[in-house]
This record gives sequence, structure tokens and C-alpha cells, in this order.
Amino acid sequence: MDAELGATKSGGGSGGMQRFAIVLTLVGLIGVLIFYWQVFFWVNTERTMGVAQRIFYLHVPAAWNAELGFGITALCSAIYLWLKDERLDWAAVAAAEAGMVFATLLLIEGSLWAKIAWGTYWTWEPRLTLTLLLWFIFLGYFMVRRSTDNSEHGKRFAAVLAIVGSLDIPLIHVSVLWFRSIHPKPVIMSADQPMNLEGDMLVTFFTALIAFTLLFLGLVAFRYGLERSQALVAQRLRRERSA
Amino acid sequence: MMRRARLAVLAAAILLLVPGFLLAQAEPGELAAQTLGRAYWHVFVGYAAAWILVGGWAISMTRRLARLERQLGKD
Repeated sequence: MDAELGATKSGGGSGGMQRFAIVLTLVGLIGVLIFYWQVFFWVNTERTMGVAQRIFYLHVPAAWNAELGFGITALCSAIYLWLKDERLDWAAVAAAEAGMVFATLLLIEGSLWAKIAWGTYWTWEPRLTLTLLLWFIFLGYFMVRRSTDNSEHGKRFAAVLAIVGSLDIPLIHVSVLWFRSIHPKPVIMSADQPMNLEGDMLVTFFTALIAFTLLFLGLVAFRYGLERSQALVAQRLRRERSA
Repeated sequence: MMRRARLAVLAAAILLLVPGFLLAQAEPGELAAQTLGRAYWHVFVGYAAAWILVGGWAISMTRRLARLERQLGKD
């Protein structure tokens, strides 16, 4: 579908999208501030790991948002290849950028926690390795987009890469169950003991999860609006030059 | 060029002067001796990284938007 037609369909919604992005981001930011207060002044210190366990409250939401971002990218990319609707490509690139930010945060938090728990910032164990691989795949997504003279080709190649790359997400989840791994088994989504956390820790965890997800959605909506504007300006300039 | 060199010297000086514990490079022996209060710096660095990354991304988006508006104004 033509970019302008796509934009016309979402048409007057651009102001609405902007408001939606601002509201979500502000609510998310307030949630993050509450979460920071909970982490530093309210929640009890875990007995075995001590203060370092507080990284958990940031580590898991970062993982969730990274995988949510890459999952949305893969889904939008698949439908983009099918329908050729530019809006899906804008959504894919917005979610991929958010996914990269949160995946970077995930790797930083994981390394800091690993230093305390395992005595090293990094070890080539299955979950860590697969997560780093996912990060590199989506770094490649942005490189592929810019690597062709024909931007349409770049978008399509990147969409295929996103779909293939997203197959790594379920692998990351089962890696701790299928392979010999020093990474802890699931705590929240454990099949044997789901939500295996004390009450105050569970409240802090869910505050972080909800706050960062709202912030993620708000910033993705903002990034979508930016991508849309860039595409429309580029299209207008092309038309003016050819006229 | 001079500014970059000055920044590099400053960064090197900070790395040399900052105590080991600030860089979370404690020896295993020291870690073992610590109690529940250990690893504060890891936590602070971790939580600061969240602001830096998410804030940095938000700032980069607003800069790209401003560039787009400038481009529109020029044309």
C-alpha cells in the first residue's frame, strides 16, 4: 500500500496517537518513580543474595519488554510482507528500536547481577549466549534496512530477518530447561511454583513490569509517529523533486 | 581534536583514581567477606543505566523530530 494512503487511513489519528503516546509515557514515568521508591526504600532485602537481588526487579521487566519489542517487530514484519502496508513497517521499526534499548538494558543488568552471583560479568552459557545472539540479530535488522539502494528491498530483507530472528525468543525461554545452564530457572512463570516470591517483592516486581511496559508502549507510539512523519516528508520531497 | 584528547585524559585519570569497588571489581575474597550490604554499586549502576538508556533514546527521538521540523521549515 502506498505510504500516503496508509497515512490517510490513519489520517486524523496522528494527533490522537501523539496524545496517546504522551499519556502512556507520563503514566509509565510515574509508575517508574513509584517503583524506584519501592526498590530503594520499601521492599525487603532478599536473604541469600542481599541487595544485589534488587537488580531482578529491573532485569526481568527489561527482558519482557525486549522480547515484546522484538515479538511485535516479527509480527508486524510478517503482516507487512503479506499486505505491504507501510504502517506495519513503521510499527516494526519502532518496536525493534524499543526492543534494542531494553535488550541492551537486559544485558547490562544481567552482567552486573552475574558479577555478584557467579563472580564474572559474562559466561557463555545457553541463555546468555542466545540473548546476545538476539541482540546482534536485531542490530543486523537496522543494518540490513540501510544496506540497499532500494529502500523497499531493505525493508523486506529486514522483515525476513526479524521473523527468523524472533525464533530465538522461545529458545531463550526453554534454554534453562533444555540445556545445562547456570542461569536460574523461571521464578514468576515456574510450572511447579508460579509467583514464587514474597508479597512485597511480588508487588515491587509487578509495579516495575507494568510501569516499564507502559513506558515502552508510550515511547513506541512516539517512535511510530516519528517514523510516519519521516516517511511522509521523504515522500513529499521525492514528489517535489520529480515534479 | 584538543577537546577529544582532553576528554580521553580525563577519562583515563578517572579510571586510575576511582577505587576498585566503584568499578565493581572486588576480589572474590572481599565479596565473600561482605554481608547483606554488598553490591550497592552494582545496584546503583544498574538502576542508573535504565534512566540513561531510556532517557537517551527519548532524547534521540526528540532530536530526530527537531531535525525533521528544520528540514520541513527549510523546504
